[in-house]
Amino acid sequence: MRSSDKTKIRHRRIAHVALIFISFSLMFVGKADLVAMRDARMSSNDFLAPVIDFVSAPIRGVETMADGIRTVASLRAENVRLQAENDLLQRWRRRAEILESENQQLRSVTGTVTYENRRLITARAVTAPGGSFAHTVLIAIGDEDGIVAGDPVITSNGLVGVVYEVGRAYARVLMISDINSRIPVMLASSSWPGLTIGRNSEYLELKFLPAEAQPAIGELVLTSGHGGVLPAGLAVGRVQRADGDYVEVRPAVDFRNLGYVSILIGGTEGVDRSEFSQGSFFTPLPVEDDKRLLEGLNASGTRQ
Amino acid sequence: MKDQQSYFEKADFQSNLPKQFLIMFFGIVLVLYEVGLAQWPFFYGASPYLSLIFLYFIMIYHDELMPIVTVFIMGLVSDLLMSDVLGGRATAMMLLCYAMRMGILRLQQSEFMDLWLGFAVSCAAVTLFQLIVFSLINLAVPALSPLLFQSGFTLILFPIGFVMMFSVQRLLQTLRVTR
Repeated sequence: MRSSDKTKIRHRRIAHVALIFISFSLMFVGKADLVAMRDARMSSNDFLAPVIDFVSAPIRGVETMADGIRTVASLRAENVRLQAENDLLQRWRRRAEILESENQQLRSVTGTVTYENRRLITARAVTAPGGSFAHTVLIAIGDEDGIVAGDPVITSNGLVGVVYEVGRAYARVLMISDINSRIPVMLASSSWPGLTIGRNSEYLELKFLPAEAQPAIGELVLTSGHGGVLPAGLAVGRVQRADGDYVEVRPAVDFRNLGYVSILIGGTEGVDRSEFSQGSFFTPLPVEDDKRLLEGLNASGTRQ
Repeated sequence: MKDQQSYFEKADFQSNLPKQFLIMFFGIVLVLYEVGLAQWPFFYGASPYLSLIFLYFIMIYHDELMPIVTVFIMGLVSDLLMSDVLGGRATAMMLLCYAMRMGILRLQQSEFMDLWLGFAVSCAAVTLFQLIVFSLINLAVPALSPLLFQSGFTLILFPIGFVMMFSVQRLLQTLRVTR
């Protein structure tokens, strides 16, 4: 073997060891959630997202075609179902109008604080969670459109997640099913507060319910609005299973068919957003300690 | 002053570099395709490891075309787009490459069933490595059923992927001979 070959092999070995070391270090540096790393990650997403959009066009095409065939096959049954659903919705609409007017009157009497200064922007979901280790979605909207980390992402069915990385033209959404996701919620019928925790699977776990709480199967779970990041009243899911302390919630949104999502912009004034990171932005503290986020009457009838 | 030999080395027309670039390009496209596959409701949260099948095939039959940098970049792109632990899959795939290089001769002479079994072990090792790293870093264990589905489906796809790549290889060889 020539000496130049030997040198080449030695250099290659050094390069290999260096690469493995870099790769290994990246695991810990990435978790440290450094601003530089986050920026680098989002810049690379900004660069790769259009490419992945182009590459996955045939995949979306096949899916659309299969969907079309399914729709045509079940057109008659679908029509009957939709007519029945329309009748039901008409009745619900009338009921909702009555309830809305009643709600407004009650709010004016009790002086309840509501968050109404949010606006909606719709964006397309570019990717879907492909692995079992993270449930995130890349959406085609960025800081050019005024979105910031912490903005809630919803569909007409309910809450999808929260924006946690924002690039120039793309942003990443941490879904409520992700293992790092913690959403302050309340049971719609009994009003018990709790916290939904993602499991990187189809269902969420409902934890920290008071001992007296008895969640019913099928009971609606809504965001409680605690922390001020998420507005109160967004549908998170329904109780699927209640087995002692273990309560399972099926998300209200079918994440497998996530084409378009809406982002709620604004409305988090007074919430400290400086420390938003993947692990900790669900329970931020208000900037001013004396400023209450929830106002109303307590059990003894005194205004708080 | 440079010796005469180093000048001749530069004029290496049999260089593998263009082929290595082509393999890297195809590998990255495959990773992107893998991420795109998750948009099908069937593969939601568990798209098969297509890039691992590609890596396994190339490492056995054309390891000279798969430098470790390619493996690193493929893993890193996958980690970035899937929002996994950064470097987790890249490290797992690089370690797999090293392990495969140690027994490359045995693998090259193996029957298809042995290769399939070897791939099953490789797939399980990569998944397990990622699972351990994820659990250590997040102090939580994710749901295991999507992981099993992901690995299981990759194993089912392996023969199809293998036959396809073998056919492409044959085609390229035929083209080279007729030219």
